[in-house]
Amino acid sequence: MLKQSLLGLALATALSTVAHAESVNILMEGVPDTEYVKTLLPEFTKETGIEVNLEVVNYAEMHTKLVPQLVAPKGSYSAIVVDFYWVGEFTKAGWLMPLDDRIKADGFDASVYVPKLMDLVGQVDGVTYMLPFYNYAMGLLYRTDLLADEANKAAYLEETGEELGPPKTWGEYLQQVKFFTKGDMHGVVNQGLRPDPIAMEWSNYLFANGGEYHDADWHSTLNTPAGVAALDQYKANVEEYGPLGAASFSFDEAFNVMAQGGAYSYITYNFFRAAIDDPSQSTVAGKVEIMPVPGQEPGVGASLNGAWGWAIPKSSPNPDAAWTFLKWVESHDIAKKRALQGGSPTRLDVFDDADVNAKYPYTGAMKDMLLTSHNFPVFTYTPQLVEVLGRELSLAVAGEASSADALAAVETEMNELAKKDGKLK
Amino acid sequence: MSQPSTMEAADRRFGWFMSAPGLALLLAVILFPVFWALFTSVHEFTLIAPNFDTFTGIENYAAALGDPAFRHSLGLTAFFVGAVVLIEFAIGFLVALMLNGVERFKPIYYGILLCPLLMNPVIVGLIWRMFLHPSLGIVNYLLTVAGFEPVNWLGSTKMAIWTIIMVDIWHQVSFMIVLLLAGLSSLPKEPYEAARVDGASVFQSFFFITLPLMMPVIIVTLLIRMIFAVKTYDLIYIMTRGGPGVATDLVSYAIYRTAFVSLNIGEASAMSAILLAVILIFTGYLYRYMRTLT
Repeated sequence: MLKQSLLGLALATALSTVAHAESVNILMEGVPDTEYVKTLLPEFTKETGIEVNLEVVNYAEMHTKLVPQLVAPKGSYSAIVVDFYWVGEFTKAGWLMPLDDRIKADGFDASVYVPKLMDLVGQVDGVTYMLPFYNYAMGLLYRTDLLADEANKAAYLEETGEELGPPKTWGEYLQQVKFFTKGDMHGVVNQGLRPDPIAMEWSNYLFANGGEYHDADWHSTLNTPAGVAALDQYKANVEEYGPLGAASFSFDEAFNVMAQGGAYSYITYNFFRAAIDDPSQSTVAGKVEIMPVPGQEPGVGASLNGAWGWAIPKSSPNPDAAWTFLKWVESHDIAKKRALQGGSPTRLDVFDDADVNAKYPYTGAMKDMLLTSHNFPVFTYTPQLVEVLGRELSLAVAGEASSADALAAVETEMNELAKKDGKLK
Repeated sequence: MSQPSTMEAADRRFGWFMSAPGLALLLAVILFPVFWALFTSVHEFTLIAPNFDTFTGIENYAAALGDPAFRHSLGLTAFFVGAVVLIEFAIGFLVALMLNGVERFKPIYYGILLCPLLMNPVIVGLIWRMFLHPSLGIVNYLLTVAGFEPVNWLGSTKMAIWTIIMVDIWHQVSFMIVLLLAGLSSLPKEPYEAARVDGASVFQSFFFITLPLMMPVIIVTLLIRMIFAVKTYDLIYIMTRGGPGVATDLVSYAIYRTAFVSLNIGEASAMSAILLAVILIFTGYLYRYMRTLT
């Protein structure tokens, strides 16, 4: 009887050990790249014995769910994903664990990442807090069938004296937008909803005109000829060359117009390149290509960069297991498997991988977009800047403020935020 | 004489004893957050530095009231609340009066009417955003089929707030109908019979019997709906994010932005306290008015 009891006790102990196998909890956004990670998780559990629980929510919920966990001495998330918007806030608040010692100890090669992505969602003031997860740089989607059309070519040559082809400069692109606006066809569709859709899209216009958000001392440089020209062009595109209501479009509505063949071009996030080839949601599958937003000169890119990074919060209940997961998910093999499913790479060796390029021929264009892209200002108050920028741009597009007045208002508030953050002396 | 009063006192004590746990819970979940918000509103409390180390006095209140964007949001919210409450009341009372006379299929009408009310505001916003898409939405399609010009529902500064009002009415009008119908059903029949005997017309019965008897119900209904309308946030978040420009920037959305985008919980709490004060003053006025009626 005693033997049986002891055996039972031993079995129960063994079973409870199995039941309490280590697990990693991660809060993630419901996006395709999260789905690609999800499909590979059984491999990780098989290799390490660590279970991974993904809590997938929409973007709007992420920040409000994260902050209480990050403030707590011990939170429930082992690892998190961080949008570039929050990098300044999270690092300033001291919520993220520096990863340099772990990277060094395990010989993890962080030099394989696109340098601009490491600047955006990797390092802050020389300390590595994140590993870039996926990028959502913006590019120019354009209709290849319209460019190849002989009648269009002849008409464009007659009208402008130039050959019709993918635009090499920003000026050429604006000329094409005007040219293709005829009848029900629009030269461009914009995402004018405030705050982030319009703020992110307009940033490409700013860079394309040779503008920047601030100088080396963090003085805002928006109310400049480049900034005003960018906003005037944006307004013209919304009002004269875009579909009705573009001033209130979010990216999904603007994408739908593009996918239903209603526009020649759309400056948007790179993940829409794969979506536009999906016949279930697009009538122009196979007729659209992506390229870096052209700048003032040929070869100069004006795309806005955007990305998410993996991080381990200081409140992580099990940072060692979280690091084991980060190393695995960001290893070359797993990053390549994610890219082959349609994921958006951050590692140069995945961008250059033959299999990835064979499956997705536009991978080279995506890489060019990143290499020539520009970063949005990353500081503690990035979300507020986006909010202010979105509000003022929207006022200008609505005709309730002139471009110069709107940009002057953004400049004033941006300088105040930069001062508050200690960036502007 | 002392026997019943002792019993009454014992009954009262027992009543308090039984209600105490519920009341304590109610105080904890209602009063504690209110006091916490008021305490936060006089401190520099941000999500980056969530502590009460710096007492700021009325600074957060001054910052909120000095901000033209917040004042614009307050004014716009007053307009929005006035519009939705009055229009919903007019439609709601009319439908309730019509339904009050209906004898057959009442549950079916109730079911249909309650459908929008049962829907989550986020879903309502998403559905209407899809319907009102200027070039791909069904509303503009039907308008163009009927020979009208397509309407820029959410992209025009003049139209956007009316679009939000229209969607809110669609979503919330059944709330008015249900409450007013409940009030109408409970009215006594005798005054109407007497009026009929005296030869009163339908309009006379309505203005001299129905309206005065319904006044307390109407005021409570308007009050509840007004408080709900002030809190409108979901529709704005989903449909316009306060735009185009600042055309739909209602106060609840402005407070949300201050708290969760600017991370300034102190100022957001001050804004909420200002809003609470405005609502309390208005509620107090309506409550006193209702007391004079009853």
